[in-house]
Amino acid sequence: MASTEERIRALVDANLNIEGRSEGQPLTPDLNIIDAGVSSTDVVAFWRLVCEEFGIDISAEEFAELLTPSDLIAYLDAHSG
Amino acid sequence: MAPALATGWWGPFTQLDDVVVTHVDLVPNETNEQEAWTWLDGEERRRACRFQHNGAKRRYVLCRASLRSLLCGALSCRNHQLALGSSEHGKPFAAVDRLQAPIAFNVSHSGQHGLIALAPRGRVGVDVEERAAQRNLDVLIDAVLSPRERADVMAASGRQKLDVFLDLWTLKEALSKAHGLGLSLDVSSFEIPPDIRNGTRSGMFRMPGMPEVAWRLTNIGTDRFAAAVAHDEEGL
Ligand SMILES: CC(C)(COP(=O)(O)OP(=O)(O)OC[C@H]1O[C@@H](n2cnc3c(N)ncnc32)[C@H](O)[C@@H]1OP(=O)(O)O)[C@@H](O)C(=O)NCCC(=O)NCCS
Repeated sequence: MASTEERIRALVDANLNIEGRSEGQPLTPDLNIIDAGVSSTDVVAFWRLVCEEFGIDISAEEFAELLTPSDLIAYLDAHSG
Repeated sequence: MAPALATGWWGPFTQLDDVVVTHVDLVPNETNEQEAWTWLDGEERRRACRFQHNGAKRRYVLCRASLRSLLCGALSCRNHQLALGSSEHGKPFAAVDRLQAPIAFNVSHSGQHGLIALAPRGRVGVDVEERAAQRNLDVLIDAVLSPRERADVMAASGRQKLDVFLDLWTLKEALSKAHGLGLSLDVSSFEIPPDIRNGTRSGMFRMPGMPEVAWRLTNIGTDRFAAAVAHDEEGL
């Protein structure tokens, strides 16, 4: 089964525009998606798509603290079954 | 420090009672970007360098320099006296000679457009969104709208569906930014009043759980972009 990083990477590639990023490239662990130039509409859509992909409910307040791949992956590994 | 900032890339957009809204032109322009850079302090330059995306960096630099110029004018201070800090969730505030300044302001940028709202008192929020296609429009409709707002969007067809959505989105974002909670406020938890949803440009709004605060909410969108301002003139 795909790792959490691979699943997040696939969601990023399919849904976020990150200048200079090519598909499949490893995610930069500490790059905040706001600093990567992602718009707030794309952040909100990404939040919902992550919840759907991992079958969990993350509140807006929690997600606002999970804006780097490393924080998000650590959270998902700890909270999704 | 630059002696004076050429007002080449921003200008008056609209005035709503005592809220003055300025439009900032964010089209790539090397001369403007170089001029703007000279107005930023060390921390702002470090922030600008953290952006990986040239567009995001340009929008930040051009908006921040025009914000500095507008604040210097409104507060009768020099650029080197002005510092911009931010609250817990990221809402910026101004200080002159290290004392918090008596002014409310907020900034938004999207694509080639920036908006800056300034008010002498209260709390103000502004949001702008270029009328560009959204890859995940259906996901967004589901994530941020109430059932009645969703029904309004679904009743529209074709291109109008996006326009109705962006109007609601910017109204909600303006409220969330006026409030200062930013990303941590779940904007599906409140609903834009029916008169504004039905096309009235401006009206009063009270958020659930916060009935004591009356926000004036105004749709200031154009054909090119959706935009809104929220202002609570009694606020801190
Ligand atoms: C981050 C947010 C403030 C706006 O993001 P955005 O639409 O991408 O950006 P905008 O261009 O409209 O606004 C950016 C400006 O808002 C200001 N800002 C940042 N945090 C803010 C806050 N908490 N409150 C008010 N203003 C804020 C800053 O001045 C920033 O500009 P700068 O960095 O150039 O100084 C935020 O409102 C948001 O994205 N909310 C989504 C709410 C949501 O549904 N969240 C669910 C969980 S993801």
